[in-house]
Amino acid sequence: MMQPVGPEKIRFVQKKQRHATVTIVTCKAEARRRLQPGRSGVLGKIWKHRADYAYVLPAIAVMLVVIAYPIYYTIELSFFKTPPGLQLRDKTFIGFDNYATILTSELFWRVTWNTLVWTLGSTLIAFVLGFATALALHREFVGRSLLRAILIIPWVISAVAASYIWKWIYHSDFGIIGAVLVGLGLADRPPNFIDSVSTVLPSLIVVNIWREFPFAMIMMMAGLQTVPEQLLRAARVDGASAWQRFWHVTFPHLRNVSTVTILLLAVANFNSFIIPWIMTGGGPSNASHIWITHIYELAFGRQRWGVASAYSVLLFLTLMTLGYFYVRALSGNERQEGSP
Amino acid sequence: MTRITLGSAVLRGTVATALMASLMSTSALGAPPVDLSKWSPEYVRSIAGTQDFDTAADCAKVTPLDYKGRLTFWYQGVFEGDPDLLRQYYKDFFETFRKTYPNIQLEEQALTYNDLLDKFRTALLGNAAPMAVRLQILGGTEFASKGYLEPLKPEDVGYSTDDFWPGAMKAVTWEGVSYGIPTNNETMAFIWNADIFKRAGLDPDKAPATWDDVVKYSKQIHDKLGIAGYGLVARKNAGNTPYRFMPQLWAYGGGVFDEATANPTYEQVNLDSPQSKAALQASYDMYVRDKSVPVSALTNQQADNQPLFLAGQLGMMISHPSDYDVMLDLQKKATGADKDKAQTVIDNMRYGLIPTGPDGKRAVVFGGSNIHILKPEYVEGGKVDEPAAKAIICMWTSPEWSLKMAYAGSNPGNLNGFKTKWMKERLDNIKFLDVTTSMLPYGIPFPALPQAPEIMNIIVPDMLQNALTGAMTVDEAADDAAKRVRDLMGGL
Repeated sequence: MMQPVGPEKIRFVQKKQRHATVTIVTCKAEARRRLQPGRSGVLGKIWKHRADYAYVLPAIAVMLVVIAYPIYYTIELSFFKTPPGLQLRDKTFIGFDNYATILTSELFWRVTWNTLVWTLGSTLIAFVLGFATALALHREFVGRSLLRAILIIPWVISAVAASYIWKWIYHSDFGIIGAVLVGLGLADRPPNFIDSVSTVLPSLIVVNIWREFPFAMIMMMAGLQTVPEQLLRAARVDGASAWQRFWHVTFPHLRNVSTVTILLLAVANFNSFIIPWIMTGGGPSNASHIWITHIYELAFGRQRWGVASAYSVLLFLTLMTLGYFYVRALSGNERQEGSP
Repeated sequence: MTRITLGSAVLRGTVATALMASLMSTSALGAPPVDLSKWSPEYVRSIAGTQDFDTAADCAKVTPLDYKGRLTFWYQGVFEGDPDLLRQYYKDFFETFRKTYPNIQLEEQALTYNDLLDKFRTALLGNAAPMAVRLQILGGTEFASKGYLEPLKPEDVGYSTDDFWPGAMKAVTWEGVSYGIPTNNETMAFIWNADIFKRAGLDPDKAPATWDDVVKYSKQIHDKLGIAGYGLVARKNAGNTPYRFMPQLWAYGGGVFDEATANPTYEQVNLDSPQSKAALQASYDMYVRDKSVPVSALTNQQADNQPLFLAGQLGMMISHPSDYDVMLDLQKKATGADKDKAQTVIDNMRYGLIPTGPDGKRAVVFGGSNIHILKPEYVEGGKVDEPAAKAIICMWTSPEWSLKMAYAGSNPGNLNGFKTKWMKERLDNIKFLDVTTSMLPYGIPFPALPQAPEIMNIIVPDMLQNALTGAMTVDEAADDAAKRVRDLMGGL
């Protein structure tokens, strides 16, 4: 007796045919490749995908000019001494001396510590806060859309404007926070937020978190949409508690988006220039200098282009390492999505 | 009341004529248009409005008025701390230039004091600089010594070197060659709130005579009224910091080098001298020991002190005469009770000479700006339209415009500006102008060295911040700064 052929079976056959077609094309290309001597390995692959390369060539050309050349030039400059009293063309080759100068400088290690505190503190707290907010906003309630729109405001405000606003909020003599605390009788005099070496960095981190947590919130809200509702329902039917449902169902589905969010935040924070520069200029007494502001001061304030370039190379390597993990996390995502 | 303070101070300051002579190069002693040896508020009043100048006619001799060309021009323009009056004069200048030279296509760009050096340095690295630039006085030697600037002297735009302050000419001279022309020169004064003085039990009509008095007065104001006494400024990378700390450093007999002497050689670093440390100690005493200055001093600029002063929360500060106009502008924006409160502060605003050190030495930064022409190879497009550049330089450094562009806060770079009718009008309109012109003879230029911007904008503020935050002791901070200057001068 013949089995009835349903729509699912038809789709399966179509899919199989598509695969077959792809196989035939691949075989033809392989045959062509074998027929052309001297075009094996990488060159052969490039030749095979020459049309694809032609499409991306303009973008590659632009990237070579605006990214590759500056990177090459920065690396080259990092091996030269560029005294502040001379023009850049009068530089002298000194090998790895700039790197040695940086690594033996007490200030470098202090600034590195600041950078780590700034990056880790901002990234982790912004992520946790963003995640918590995303979970809260994932539920249906009246005014959810409005609240979501309000919470995104810090992220869309210009960082320059935000820095100036926060500078006044924190102002050690005229600040709003200080005025409120003194007004309520909670303090005798306004607290010193950004004019003290011990409080300046945490104060700047708060501003950075305020600006960044909406980004984490948006990313995690997008991630939460991908958690299968039937799994959560099934877990509820099986008697799983809210925490168990979160930990065993929701969180595993968000692992990849969490990794990507954390890496993106970390890269952005390593490179974050506007808030510390505008609010404190790296001060007082270098207490809020992070790598990027210190590099700027070395280059544009003190004209130590060579040392600043060496510093930039170190920053570049650090960011490339983070970038590697980011790409790996993305690849993991794709593998997971593509797996049967 | 202010006059009494002034009169006596000017008498005591006769000694400073010798210092003024130090501002003069030998050639400048030839025949300046004004007699600098007679300098006093009375003398300035006596010469004001005694001569007429026709700017367009004068500049037509340098660049014909029908000249057709194109000019890119960057300048240190007005910023948030300047009065509206000055904004209007800047607007008027460019409108007049376009009317006077209708065939010159002018592409001007205004930058603030703190941004100009960074942007200009970056542009030079990419050979993308403008054809002409107006820089702060500190920048002249840096760019001249590196070979970015064309030689340029007042004679090239129809004036005489003697028409300009000799000290200002030093700031544009490198290895005997002049590379620019001063547009304006300034010295600041000491400002106080007489009402605050009175309420704190101080003589409301008398400025502190010495820097030690400033420390004492600041504490007394803070202790009695709970507000900040003196408007200390110690922000890094901000021109306001050296302009306020260097007068104190010099008054105590210190210095970065020997720049406060008649013939500086800049060979000996003096930041770690006992006198320099005493000046730093005075700032430490106010900020750390007495807590009598704004806590925000480490991140503040003078623009942040202005609202504090207007709100009656600050007793004393150092600034330009233009601060009076700034206060009027701010007061106009205030509403309700704040408006009346601000008016009370304005009514009680007093100007006096900057205090002396323990040995009676009085000093102030001889500041200002210069205008320069770039070499073609560093300019975008590789070409400099020299006649067009000279046209704008002639106009800006003319007696008329060098006076008008410095109307509220500074003084004309071209000494003939003091003879114009606008100077007479200015003396009547701008309150307290006498005081700052009286300070001119006490002016000390920043060291005329290419390293001066780093010393003044980074090393000196770092020294202050290191001492005031407790990151270092006063001695350590001064020693560290001195070592950094020595390293810098040694090419490190």
